[in-house]
Amino acid sequence: MKELVVETYKYRELIWALALKEIKVRYKRSVLGFLWALLNPALMMVVLTLVFSTIMRFNIPHYSIFLLSVLLPWTFFSQSLSYAVDSIVGNSELIKKVAVPKLVFPMAAVISNVINLLLSLIPLAILVPLLGHPFYWTWIFLPVPMLALIIFTIGMTFFFAAANVYYRDVAHIVQIILSAWFYLTPIIYSVEMLPEKYRWIFKLNPIIYVVNGFRLSVYYGMLPQLKSVAASFACAFVALFIGFAVFRKYQDNFVFYV
Amino acid sequence: MSNRHVAIDVQNVTQRFRIIHERPDTLRELFANFLRHDVSYHDFDAVKDVSLQVHSGQMLGLVGRNGSGKSTLLKIIAGVYKPTSGRVHLSGKVAPLIELGAGFHSELTGRENIMINGLLMGFSKKEMLEKEQRIIEFADIGEFIDSPVKQYSSGMYTRLAFSIATEVDPEILIVDEILSVGDAGFQQKSFARIQEFREAGKTILFVSHSMPMVTAHCDRAVLLESGSVVADGDPIEVAALYEALVNPPVAVS
Repeated sequence: MKELVVETYKYRELIWALALKEIKVRYKRSVLGFLWALLNPALMMVVLTLVFSTIMRFNIPHYSIFLLSVLLPWTFFSQSLSYAVDSIVGNSELIKKVAVPKLVFPMAAVISNVINLLLSLIPLAILVPLLGHPFYWTWIFLPVPMLALIIFTIGMTFFFAAANVYYRDVAHIVQIILSAWFYLTPIIYSVEMLPEKYRWIFKLNPIIYVVNGFRLSVYYGMLPQLKSVAASFACAFVALFIGFAVFRKYQDNFVFYV
Repeated sequence: MSNRHVAIDVQNVTQRFRIIHERPDTLRELFANFLRHDVSYHDFDAVKDVSLQVHSGQMLGLVGRNGSGKSTLLKIIAGVYKPTSGRVHLSGKVAPLIELGAGFHSELTGRENIMINGLLMGFSKKEMLEKEQRIIEFADIGEFIDSPVKQYSSGMYTRLAFSIATEVDPEILIVDEILSVGDAGFQQKSFARIQEFREAGKTILFVSHSMPMVTAHCDRAVLLESGSVVADGDPIEVAALYEALVNPPVAVS
């Protein structure tokens, strides 16, 4: 664990440069370039708002805000995982030729998505007053669930990026896990919509505490209970601990398998 | 030579590769092989118990046939491979020119690649910004520095890679065969640069199949064969041994 902190600090400039590289490359050949990082979530929001205010009507006021407050962090999570699972294999050319700590690759993949997440909050902040939803002061609490989510995501990506080096099936399996996980997490619905006797199952979902923090602060204007915040960080650090332990154990052998 | 310190210290290094015959790449293959009890492999030592000390200021030519373990040894020294056994101690930063433009991203510009390359070698952003101008000057690629490197000719690519590796001022420079790519003018410039390096007391590891180059520039040569050091010493003698290996004298009966 100490190694993780020391190496991350030592290579922070490299991680940052690789994260920016990823974003630059993603938008390189498009006319609008970097603007897509803002436009993409903005347009998605427009589509969702139209769909849920006209076609599918839920009994939830300002459903699109209800949805987006959680969909944005979820998108961050699923995109980070999708990108990062391939981060070691995808950088094989580098890994085979330069002595570089392997952890910079999944880290950079996650950081590039953190930038996207932060940018996607801008259109959300515009949409909230536009739809007449109150803009709560509790937005200032967002860095807390965000931090827990980032730690959790990094932990997961370490595990899956390492596993994918040995079995390329992992990248595909991750996609399936993500789509199942999406429906098992209260993103398009809320836990309150479910029968009481099943709710305990949801408490086993490690990401629910983070989701809860986002939705409470953006949609309800409330702060989560301390217990829930503690649970979100506990899940995050367990994921990081296990993920990095696995990654670290195998990282010296990556070069022979990529 | 005795007052100079050991820059590269390789002690009893062995690199074992497990060659799995049809390594399962997917879970399906793994299960299939597992069910058939069919995971056959053999171990292969690409580098066998090699010990090597290179003093600072030395230019060592590493020669050997294809598959003799040169590249593996270089990668171990550069820290890309962690050896199966043995250890490597280096004093100072290494700039590996193992393959052309390793770490270049084709969509990024030359300037952006200079930064990423430097950071990959462990230099800081600040250090790289200071060196940037000199790197660009030596590489001599003009306005192309702000174009994506995929538009570069192979000569420009080499020049930029060589320029980065040498301008970052490493204590140890590893040059693997790449200098044969540039034109005569750049080759001269490169060897002049390498000469400066030697005079500054730096260590150079030079891999080549060209014996004239090895004998002209190196002050020591090591011949690898099947992963072991079979000769170590005067470049002219080692080059002769290498030539004998490559072109064995035809026995007249």
